[in-house]
Amino acid sequence: MRRRPAISSNGELVADDVSFAYVGATTAALRHIEFGVDPGEVVLITGVSGCGKSTLALALCGLIPSRIPGELRGQVMFRGKPLSAMKPHEASQLVGMVFQNPNLQLINQTVVSEVAFGPENLALPHDEIVRRVNWCLEVTGMEGMRKAATVTLSGGQKQRTAIAATLAMKPQILVLDEPLSDLDPVGAQEVLATLQRLARDEGTAVVIIEHRVDEVAPWADRVGLMDKGRLLLDQPPRQAWADPVPWATTGVGVPDVVQLAHALPDAFGGVLPLSVGDAAEQLADTWVVPALAAAAEGRAVEAASGDGSPDGASARNGRLAAGTAVPSPWASIAGRPTGERPPVLAWEGISVEFDGKRAVNDVTLRVGEGESVAIIGANGSGKSTLVSLAVGMGTPSAGQVFFRGQPVQPGKVFEHSAQVALLLQAADEMLFEDTVIDELKFGTKFRALPPNPVLDVEGAIDFFGFKGLEQISPWELSQGGRQRLALAALLVGAPGVLVLDEPTTGQDAEHMRAFLRLLAAVRKRTGLTVITVTHDIRGLASHAERIVLLGQGEVRLDGPTRHVLAQTEELKRWGVLSPPLPRLQADLLGHCDDVLLSVAEFAAAVGAYRGVPVEHGMPAEHAMPMQHGVPAERAGGT
Amino acid sequence: MSNILVRTILAYLIIFVPPLILPWMFIKLVGLGGLRDLVTYEARDTPLHKLDPRLKVLYPVAMGILSIILNWDFMLIVFALSVIPWFWLKPSRAKIRVLMVMVIGPALTGFWSQGLYYLPPQPIHYIYQFPWTISWMGSPGITGYGMVFGLQQSARVLVTVSTSMLILVSTDVGDFTWAFERFRMPPAVGFALTAALRFLPDMISRTTLVLRAVELRGYDMSRPRWFQVRQWPDYVKRLSRCIVIITVPLLVGSLRGTTTMAMVADARGFGVNRRRGSLQEHPITKFDVAGYVILVALLGTAFVLNHFHIGARPY
Repeated sequence: MRRRPAISSNGELVADDVSFAYVGATTAALRHIEFGVDPGEVVLITGVSGCGKSTLALALCGLIPSRIPGELRGQVMFRGKPLSAMKPHEASQLVGMVFQNPNLQLINQTVVSEVAFGPENLALPHDEIVRRVNWCLEVTGMEGMRKAATVTLSGGQKQRTAIAATLAMKPQILVLDEPLSDLDPVGAQEVLATLQRLARDEGTAVVIIEHRVDEVAPWADRVGLMDKGRLLLDQPPRQAWADPVPWATTGVGVPDVVQLAHALPDAFGGVLPLSVGDAAEQLADTWVVPALAAAAEGRAVEAASGDGSPDGASARNGRLAAGTAVPSPWASIAGRPTGERPPVLAWEGISVEFDGKRAVNDVTLRVGEGESVAIIGANGSGKSTLVSLAVGMGTPSAGQVFFRGQPVQPGKVFEHSAQVALLLQAADEMLFEDTVIDELKFGTKFRALPPNPVLDVEGAIDFFGFKGLEQISPWELSQGGRQRLALAALLVGAPGVLVLDEPTTGQDAEHMRAFLRLLAAVRKRTGLTVITVTHDIRGLASHAERIVLLGQGEVRLDGPTRHVLAQTEELKRWGVLSPPLPRLQADLLGHCDDVLLSVAEFAAAVGAYRGVPVEHGMPAEHAMPMQHGVPAERAGGT
Repeated sequence: MSNILVRTILAYLIIFVPPLILPWMFIKLVGLGGLRDLVTYEARDTPLHKLDPRLKVLYPVAMGILSIILNWDFMLIVFALSVIPWFWLKPSRAKIRVLMVMVIGPALTGFWSQGLYYLPPQPIHYIYQFPWTISWMGSPGITGYGMVFGLQQSARVLVTVSTSMLILVSTDVGDFTWAFERFRMPPAVGFALTAALRFLPDMISRTTLVLRAVELRGYDMSRPRWFQVRQWPDYVKRLSRCIVIITVPLLVGSLRGTTTMAMVADARGFGVNRRRGSLQEHPITKFDVAGYVILVALLGTAFVLNHFHIGARPY
């Protein structure tokens, strides 16, 4: 299984057979890593959570073993000098590290003082500090915010400030540990554009450790895949994704456009696209465009025919072109179209003000029984503020929230949390007990279990897979396990609605799939209404029945998922990027009322037009043998 | 009999209601979440922001000295002077709310407690004399003399509080560090202040978040109405238990954060040199000169007057 990286032990920064084990750990976090980076390169390293990516980042920056105790074997060298023997401030002038959470690495109160902090510590002359600060702010696009207080910045601006502060140490190489995890798609693009500018214009090598491969893929010169502490492959992107087997076996996400190319190899001419732009260009004059158009027309005709539902919803609920039944990710649990269900939660004319500024402005929104709704929007668009009103957290300055027709009283969180279960983004903050079983019983200590609970404690143990783990500490569970426990504990009782606030932030593709499976199982078993606040449109929102887009505190779009995600320009206007496949369809067809959401649907729809059933799942036989980004047969033929 | 009962009830209300207004004010106007606005820097472009950081560090110290050595009449002038810069600053509404509670709280406490317990020489003229059913607790009644004395003491404290808050709100921590270094203090002092001022608001936000989380998990934090007297002991018990419950997640989260922060500080070379460089040069401007002159003049005048027993505080 292990493949020696194609590019290794070369470059300015070299990891030479590096292995590392944390103190007290029984297994090594890094195993025989061979890795090199050259000036101006952008390298994406990905892998499932816990595979050793962050440990590799710390080792590459020289923070292992100087600040992280453990047993290190092999060496990380910068231009032949061992980095692991240097002091952190010496190493940081060669290799800079940007950590995942920008809040924890912004020490000062203003942008400019944060950027100046490092050069000031180095006791550089005033003119040099000014020069570095100005350069860093300019190159990261933060010049206009130099005097801003860091607490007032958006997620993307904070991350760019952290990058600027790291750059102020003048490193030759920048290592970023999941820099996009807390950012909305627009914030992510800001950060990636900054990094590409650094690599292209300044010759800075950039190593990005990230799960969000779709967004980084177009910018990367190389892609590394890690698994269980090993670097399985390290190749240019097209080569790295040419063989889907290592990706499938490790459960690591692959860009949608790459998956599509594997599903439709002849349409792409054997060349893997890395971005929506690439894919659109490759497909522009192929049979796929008329096939897509025909499939879209077929869906429109079915929708117009009514099909027994007022908005043609069932027509779009899984049935595409004739004879191509595709399992729908948005099959209704309640079995009735959205509009016909009685509202379980209703926000009527809601406005919320903070310090005279409107975070939410006159929002009216009704969510039906059994519905699955995703609320999306850029950071600061009012999503979390809006949903927290449903449990009595916060006070609207105007309007009223209703749960099954009864007003939700601001401040009465204890009462309303029995009706609406809210899983916070920071699920760890919701765990308070010493054992798993006590955690599940926590709520029942203060409130009697209702006669017909959605789940009782025993049911939760079985359903969420905690059998045999009842007596262990919640902190012994993995991050995904702790999130599952927090969710299970919230569902012990009889809530009518489950609200999830950014539940998949920072999770890899495998954990995301596991969470979606769990959510589907919860809905199937309980029939709960699920409202998800997310900026993960591709992974999470596209699995909802309905999407509500908030922009600057107002509802900008509200409708079935396929319709909303087809509005790529409107989404972009409000700081949201539609997932790659809807954007590709919009690019190819110009305009479409609804879109196919998954690679499987896309492939099946165009395959049906051609009369050729197309399977999806990236099996090995669909893989395109590649030679340096050119299909083997082409390379051989020339 | 009914007369003594009414007088006793009235006396209890006089003693306990004003102090209870404080927590009520805090909860209504500020809340735990609002505390994060207490020490947050407000980046603006005002003359105050541009002043020499050394002058800003000296300002509350000098005003504090004045508040100690001057008598009440002169203290009123000092108090008025300490309020004027706030009008230049024009702080945000959130900040004003916090400041009002910070100012009114101690003022009310001093005013009321001294009114009850600071007794003038005989004969005492009470605003309201307590009946024997309550005077055994130590206060024979409330006096105007005590209240005025309480106001004076509160004003002395408020001068220091007000000037310190003004400086915290209008000075970037980096400038504090710069000033401390010019005063030959070790860089660690500046860094400790930086870390505290930067992360205190985060800590308060996290505490608010965990308190919300515990309620979402079904822990009853609802407050009884003031007249539901029997429910108050249970509420206090629940609050006390909650502190134990939330401690672990708060500690775990904080420790995680400090590890990253320490690595960032190391990576940015903190503590490498005894002397640090500076982005800011802070050349002395005419405003700074004026500020220094005013400060020296105030202190000098106060000491001279004090020497001649004019406006001096009686000891």
